[in-house]
Amino acid sequence: MRRLGLPIVAVLLVAAVLGVQLAYGGASYEPLPSADPCAERTVDSQSDGIDGLTERLVLHGVDNAGCILGVSREEFVLDLAQNGQPTDDQVDALREGLLQAVGEMEEDGTMPPASELVDDALDQAELDGWLETLIRAIPDSAVDAALKTDDVLARAIEDLDLRELLSNVDDQDQLNAQVEAAVTQAVKDSLIDRVRNLL
Amino acid sequence: MHRVVGPLLAVTVALVLADSAVVTLALPDILLHLDTTVAEVAWVLISFNLVLGLVVVPTAVGLKRVDPRYLGAVGIAGFAAASAWCAVAQSIEVLIAARCLQALGGALVLVGCLELLVSVYGERRGIATWITAGVIGTATGPFAGGLLTQAFSWQSIFYVQVPIAALAVPAALAVRAAMPPQTEPVRHNPAVRPNLTLAFLSAALTAALFLLVLLLVDGWQHSPAAAAITVSVVPVAALAARPLARLLTPTSEVEIGVGCFLIAGGLVGLALLPDAELAWTIAPQALIGLGLGLTLDQLTVQAMHLRVPRVEHASWTIGARHLGVVIGLAILTPVFVGDLQDAQVPAQEAITSLVLDAPITAQEKVALARSLGEELADQQEQVPNLHRAFDQTEFEPGSRAAAAQLERDLSDQVERAVTRAFRDSFLVGAGLALLGLLVVVFPRRRA
Repeated sequence: MRRLGLPIVAVLLVAAVLGVQLAYGGASYEPLPSADPCAERTVDSQSDGIDGLTERLVLHGVDNAGCILGVSREEFVLDLAQNGQPTDDQVDALREGLLQAVGEMEEDGTMPPASELVDDALDQAELDGWLETLIRAIPDSAVDAALKTDDVLARAIEDLDLRELLSNVDDQDQLNAQVEAAVTQAVKDSLIDRVRNLL
Repeated sequence: MHRVVGPLLAVTVALVLADSAVVTLALPDILLHLDTTVAEVAWVLISFNLVLGLVVVPTAVGLKRVDPRYLGAVGIAGFAAASAWCAVAQSIEVLIAARCLQALGGALVLVGCLELLVSVYGERRGIATWITAGVIGTATGPFAGGLLTQAFSWQSIFYVQVPIAALAVPAALAVRAAMPPQTEPVRHNPAVRPNLTLAFLSAALTAALFLLVLLLVDGWQHSPAAAAITVSVVPVAALAARPLARLLTPTSEVEIGVGCFLIAGGLVGLALLPDAELAWTIAPQALIGLGLGLTLDQLTVQAMHLRVPRVEHASWTIGARHLGVVIGLAILTPVFVGDLQDAQVPAQEAITSLVLDAPITAQEKVALARSLGEELADQQEQVPNLHRAFDQTEFEPGSRAAAAQLERDLSDQVERAVTRAFRDSFLVGAGLALLGLLVVVFPRRRA
């Protein structure tokens, strides 16, 4: 007993301390692991209209880009933020990821019809008052028949200079101007194509 | 005067051994005040232990014929003067040089005071007082240093040592009939096993005290006073070790083996903290304190038992302990510095993930990400101040609650990353304690 008393007490004490710590997650107290970018992810946005759509598109897009490059979306975003110039592979992956995101949102029904975005777009655009009133008067069904959101977005993404876009992330005005120009061009191209197809 | 001579000498011994780790909690303040680097400031700790570890045995051997009263008095005076120099140092180089001198004086103090305490209390009680003073000094050093740093300044750690040591100079000279220098015809070899165990345990205890206070102050951002109160669990538990041992009456070998096991268990406990709450460190520290109380004095007794010259063998224990501390720092510092750097990537990714998914607007996310990026870039080698980044970002009224929750979540991620970064170092420390246990249980060669 003289040899065993203290060792038994010590083993019990150590087992009790480690047991409680492990039971409370001592072995897994680590930073949040990055999720698999190729797995499906539910994304949400606090914004409505075009801002909300853009945010959801970008969140899906960076996930897809990460999946294409074989890195987590966090690693991809940090790399873009910390290394001034994105590589060609990163730009290509981002474009491809955004295009995939458009398709996914169209498939799962989260892509809003164009008519839902018209008011928001007109609020942001600086148009002549008469022209704005005239566009607002067009019925939603006519807008949706003339413009498909996914088509406009895909055209805008193809048209955008993503390298310049990434360098403008810190400058909201420049960013808006660049995106607005690309979307306006995409709307024009989409309408021209629709008319061409009708003829 | 005679009544206070013994206690004054014992306090001086405790002061010298407390100096081994007394500045641990003051290192962040010293780093800022002397505008130096992490690598350089670590030398404030290393230099003292290295010099004391290297010179104490040659001091004991070379000065064994010197009257211990003069040896003690000169050592105490030198130690006090070097402490004052530490307090007024205006550069890291001067502070490190002063710490080296402090260690030189300390070596003379430890060697001289052993003989003086034996003269005052008799052999058995004198040695026991010297050993106990050392254990108390070692265990309470970080606690006392933390409180003084918080209450006054890092310089106060050194200022308070000056008057105590100054009082001990006349005390040393007042010892009547100090033991004559020993001239034993027999000279025993140093006790390898207890000294080796002492070295391993000191290296492990370095992990416990040095790394724990770094985790509390630099990692979890607690004040030196809060950290000092937290690490006071170690000396309190060390005091409980003796009654526990008396209750269960183990052999000294069992006591030492169990002590090593408890220190290893406590260090594993620190490696497996489930949260960044001070309360979670208490039980592992209690195990370490119990282990410390069971081992240090027993090992020192074993190393000195019936060995002559007494002072030479006592100095071997001091050398083993302090070189153990240096080896512990040499092994653990690169491990933990590397892990701390590696922890930045998962922490940044976790922060990015939470910001991307946060229920705030896209514009707020971009603005916050920009502020966080600047904060992370400004705070290299230190835990980032996330609160400042949130302060610099404007949130709409509807997003403020979500932003506050996000700030808490991000802080939690940083704490997780920092705590995780210390895990391997604590486990290495546990490994060192288990090496000490191996030395204890390794079969003895039959005589």
